Amino acid sequence: MALMPKRVKHRKVQRGRIKGNATRGNTVSFGEFGLQAIHGGYVNATTIEACRVAANQYIRGEGRLFIRIFPSKPMTARPLETRMGTGKGEPDHWVAVVKPGTVMFEIAGASKESARDCFNRVAHKLPLGVRMVERRPGA
Amino acid sequence: MANATKIQAQERTEKGTRAAVRLRCEGLVPANLYGHGQASQMIAVSEDVVNPLIRSGHKLVEITCGGKVETALVREVQWNSVDRVITHVDFMRIDVNERVDVIVPVVLKGTAPGVIGAGVLEQPVHTLHIEASAADVPDSIVIKIDQLQLGQSIHVRDLTDLPSGVTVKAPGDLVIVHIVVPRSQEAPVAEPNAAPVQPELVAKKKKEDEAAK
Repeated sequence: MALMPKRVKHRKVQRGRIKGNATRGNTVSFGEFGLQAIHGGYVNATTIEACRVAANQYIRGEGRLFIRIFPSKPMTARPLETRMGTGKGEPDHWVAVVKPGTVMFEIAGASKESARDCFNRVAHKLPLGVRMVERRPGA
Repeated sequence: MANATKIQAQERTEKGTRAAVRLRCEGLVPANLYGHGQASQMIAVSEDVVNPLIRSGHKLVEITCGGKVETALVREVQWNSVDRVITHVDFMRIDVNERVDVIVPVVLKGTAPGVIGAGVLEQPVHTLHIEASAADVPDSIVIKIDQLQLGQSIHVRDLTDLPSGVTVKAPGDLVIVHIVVPRSQEAPVAEPNAAPVQPELVAKKKKEDEAAK
């Protein structure tokens, strides 16, 4: 089941803008390797779930996956074949707002080769440019 | 001093974002040298010198700046997380005879037999806060995991072969590395044809609670 918040303050929110680079969540903190976004964008909750399934199928029993993003932004949509107007659409799905530099997934306890292959599969599901990063020296 | 890395630095007079950007364009990294009751000094170090130093994990340096030689520790490093370059370094003046508090990385050595037996190696702690003589600050704390079996863990209290003069400033029961059974990561299966679930509204719940009272 895709991720989504348990409680929210408002059902609908404004779109906003994705400005600048990530100043938080931009380092590998839990595992040894991470998948870092190099572009900004929205990642759908179902996409995160697809990434989780793909990664876990690959690293099964060899390592542990950490998901560092959460889809907390509701996106609305209008029903098909309806005319414009009559206000904003109804909540349709949830997305995570990702800024360039955000470490979206991390892997612990796996070899570098396994982590690279795993992230390669995950990257194919993502709508953003990504790259694999390691822990910073001394961190 | 034998184990201090010698680096050349130059004084910088301009401060602020634009001045720092200009320095970086010239291949220099802005840095600060402070501590021991003396005034903080703005310096710049060549990127070709700083990069290998930071990546080696070595902490102790001898900085030559304006004909003056000072011993310092690498205290903090700022990175640009997108370009993955070092943007600023803090050096703290020290006396080689004093004891200092530093954070050093933990390096695991060997292959744990528990991993071969279908276990997953988890390392909740990647750095350790230690106290050591300034002259003998280790680059890292090496932990051998050759004997680690499934279900076993290494705590801070198990670190017996530390370099001489090094004291770990962390609770003894802190787990550094352990081998665990892989977690089942299956997601809960949604019922087919179930109505889409919507999150609860904070304001609505408050009203319901007040009505119940």
